Amino acid sequence: MSKRYLLALYNNFDEAEAVVSELRNSEIKGFNAADDLIVKSPIEHPEVEEFLGEKSVKVQWFTLGGALTGGLLAFSLIAGSQAGFYSQMKGGKPIVPIPPDLVLTYEMFILGGVYITVLGFLICAGLPARRSPLYSAKVSEDQIGILVKADDGSVAKLKDIFTKHKALEIQEEAGR
Amino acid sequence: MGKDIREDIAWAQINKDVLKSLESPRKLYWVIIVIALLVFSVGIGCEVYQYNTGMGVANMDNPHVWGLYIASFIFWIGMSHSGTLLSAILHLMHADWRKPIYRFAEAMTTFSLLTAGLFVAVHLGRLWQVYYALPYPSERWVWPNFQSPLLWDAMAIFTYLSSSILFLYIGSIPDLAICRDNIHQGWRKKLYTLLALGWEGTDRQWRNFRVTYLTIACFLIPLAVSVHSIVASDFAMSQQPGWHVTSFPPYFVAGALYSGCAAIITLFIILRYVFRVEEYMTLPILKKTVRLTFAIAMVWTYLNCIEFASVWYSHDQVAKDVLIQKATGPYAPFWWAMIFCGSVVPFAMMVKKWQTNIPVMFAVSLLLNLGMWLERWMIVAPTFAHGYYPWTWDHDQWPSLIQWGIVFGSFGWFTLLFMVFCKIVPSVSMYEVKEMVYHRSLAKKKEEQAVKEELAVKGAN
Amino acid sequence: MSVSNLLENWSEFRHTHPVDDKGYPDWEAYPSDIKWAMAIDLDACTGCNACSVACYAENNLPVVGKEKYSHGQAMHWMRIERYWDENDSGFQADQGARFLPMMCQQCEAAPCETVCPVGATNHTEDGLNSQIYNRCIGSRYCSANCPYKVRYFNWYNYPEQENAWPAPLNQQLNPDLTVRTKGVMEKCTFCKQRTYTARNNAKTEGRPVQDSDVQTACQEACPTGAITFGNLHNPESQVAKQWQSQQVDLIKDVQEKDEKEGNRLRGYRILEELRPYPSVMYLERVRESAV
Repeated sequence: MSKRYLLALYNNFDEAEAVVSELRNSEIKGFNAADDLIVKSPIEHPEVEEFLGEKSVKVQWFTLGGALTGGLLAFSLIAGSQAGFYSQMKGGKPIVPIPPDLVLTYEMFILGGVYITVLGFLICAGLPARRSPLYSAKVSEDQIGILVKADDGSVAKLKDIFTKHKALEIQEEAGR
Repeated sequence: MGKDIREDIAWAQINKDVLKSLESPRKLYWVIIVIALLVFSVGIGCEVYQYNTGMGVANMDNPHVWGLYIASFIFWIGMSHSGTLLSAILHLMHADWRKPIYRFAEAMTTFSLLTAGLFVAVHLGRLWQVYYALPYPSERWVWPNFQSPLLWDAMAIFTYLSSSILFLYIGSIPDLAICRDNIHQGWRKKLYTLLALGWEGTDRQWRNFRVTYLTIACFLIPLAVSVHSIVASDFAMSQQPGWHVTSFPPYFVAGALYSGCAAIITLFIILRYVFRVEEYMTLPILKKTVRLTFAIAMVWTYLNCIEFASVWYSHDQVAKDVLIQKATGPYAPFWWAMIFCGSVVPFAMMVKKWQTNIPVMFAVSLLLNLGMWLERWMIVAPTFAHGYYPWTWDHDQWPSLIQWGIVFGSFGWFTLLFMVFCKIVPSVSMYEVKEMVYHRSLAKKKEEQAVKEELAVKGAN
Repeated sequence: MSVSNLLENWSEFRHTHPVDDKGYPDWEAYPSDIKWAMAIDLDACTGCNACSVACYAENNLPVVGKEKYSHGQAMHWMRIERYWDENDSGFQADQGARFLPMMCQQCEAAPCETVCPVGATNHTEDGLNSQIYNRCIGSRYCSANCPYKVRYFNWYNYPEQENAWPAPLNQQLNPDLTVRTKGVMEKCTFCKQRTYTARNNAKTEGRPVQDSDVQTACQEACPTGAITFGNLHNPESQVAKQWQSQQVDLIKDVQEKDEKEGNRLRGYRILEELRPYPSVMYLERVRESAV
């Protein structure tokens, strides 16, 4: 059965929350609240996360990996290249001096951490991406959008729920 | 005192106001751009001459091998510190007044770092060989000298610059999406569409955004502290009298925060006027920034005294001589001007009336910046003027007009970059101002509710 | 790969120089049978500047002219510093000056070496502080960190633009070494072109380097023989004997004799307490005044 996308716009977070909880509690064919429900909001709003339920964020693993790789890479590269300079002593200091190398390791630790975090962000947030056809510029202004995916047959039921909670606008799109 | 941001301001209005600032700034904007171009071209002219003729035209000499270039380098690096560092700290502390001003403060960081980078180029005797300082693999297995504090500098600044740009960029993605949704023609449309990366504000995007932004903020705080500590190491790691001071790293970090805060005040005042965003960059925010600046000014003053005291009681006669030279020698007028601007002028910020007085704060912030520039010069020059033994003394050297011209030109370069940026990327963070008014209005509602309930309870009794 | 090299030879990469953490020199960690060093007898120095002139001729130093000299941009690798007694009431500019010939002290633990961002200045196996002109990018950090200020920067393009050797002076340029371009640092090399020739000759003949093999230009030109130069590792050399008789030890930052009462030895090194371990020993002047 083909799928359909619906986008409803709401005025504030309370209404959106009510819609989400109702969607969750009602049986709709081909609709699964965990996967087929997306809330779009103009601001970062912790309560959205709350009423959508905990979803794990994996960016921090990228951070850890990036930072450790950066640090290790820095120390081995720097100390390794210094070791190639065996005959070039400088200022009576050891060929491989620890304190300067640690300074650079520290910087590379952060560099690796930040870069890979950003990479992780792009991967985890699915960016860059084409905008879905059901996007309203209102979302970046002041309205909260609820995007659902369901079977063709459930559209009417979903619309009912949306209008019950005073949806400002409902857009519809055939699924891909 | 002026009004703070209204809690009941419509979100759509925020978009409209800020987007308008991108398209129709005051005429003064174009005046600033033209002046900045002129100033910058003076610097370019001087640099072209110096590049072709040799560093001698800067009137440096044997003991004075470093001059205003290094002093200005530290100044611009220092200025970069407040933007990103304060933004990150205030973000972790959930200080919501950061939200309308952090965007331009971070832009200030980025562009003052780029200006500092210019001074590295200007300072080098053989700029055309600058790539020798990069750790690139070569067939001869020759690497830069990783022991040199200058190399740590390069690495730290590269890390700081790129991380700051990423922090700034990640933080602007939702705003760039707003621009994309509202501006419908021309190169701007294409640019915003590209930069917004297809941001839609979905819950998945916001969730990852929050964690990412927080993580980078956590990285940036120790990074920023390390950057200026390393710049301080250029001096503290050397063996020269007046430089070889253990307390230099914290002293430099405090100085960096100080000059950065002063610069934020200056730019705050200019921006709110030029881009007509008085309603967002409000006086209460100015007041908070001014108070913060005053606190940092006192920290700087304290560390300054510590540095003098540790030199004075160290029994290091040469270092002591340098200190005496600073206060009584040829640099005395500048040294005392630095003490005045850095430690006396900030007391004007204690006067409550002046804290929100735009002209007074503008003048004070300029004086503070002057003081901080002098501070950097007074770190670099007197040590060269009064070395370890008499032959190395040279009290008469004076930077040539070429040097002054390049330093002057750098201000044009910075202003140019900064002003162009503010016209392309919204200098007030729209989505975060929305968050700010939303949370404030929620808090207000809660308060009203509590009062009502209390009244109801009283009425029932 | 370099990392395995790093792990295998770790302890060798951790030696300090010239004084190990244990407090004694570890020449084995840094093997060389040559350590060039100098001794300058200030009692013999008359301040005639012959050494400085010889240095200009030998090392292709640009003659910068009066104006640039007065700006402090002179290139004299070897300079004669003049001092008068501050408390001398009968101060007379032409009389009673004390002279100090000053050149790169070729420190064993040189402050200039560590700070160079590109590693253009290194310690050579014969105990010199080398300067690689090709590598230098002109950050001038080495000079900033030199306590003696004996490093000279090419502020202008002397060979081509500044006419530092007007004809026929260009005919006397020394072909054994280069002229330096603008924007690089340079300094005394203990006449490297001469010491290298001497070492090569000795090697060809299969014998150690002797005093008679090499003289620096300044030493050669000194009319009073105030300058001694040679291999400090060779106990037979003049310079080693002088250092020994003056009880100046290369690897100490405080000489034992200076701790003793009634020490009448004249040998000292300049700014020894900064611990750069300089390779030039000066012999203090004994006369009170020339007049």
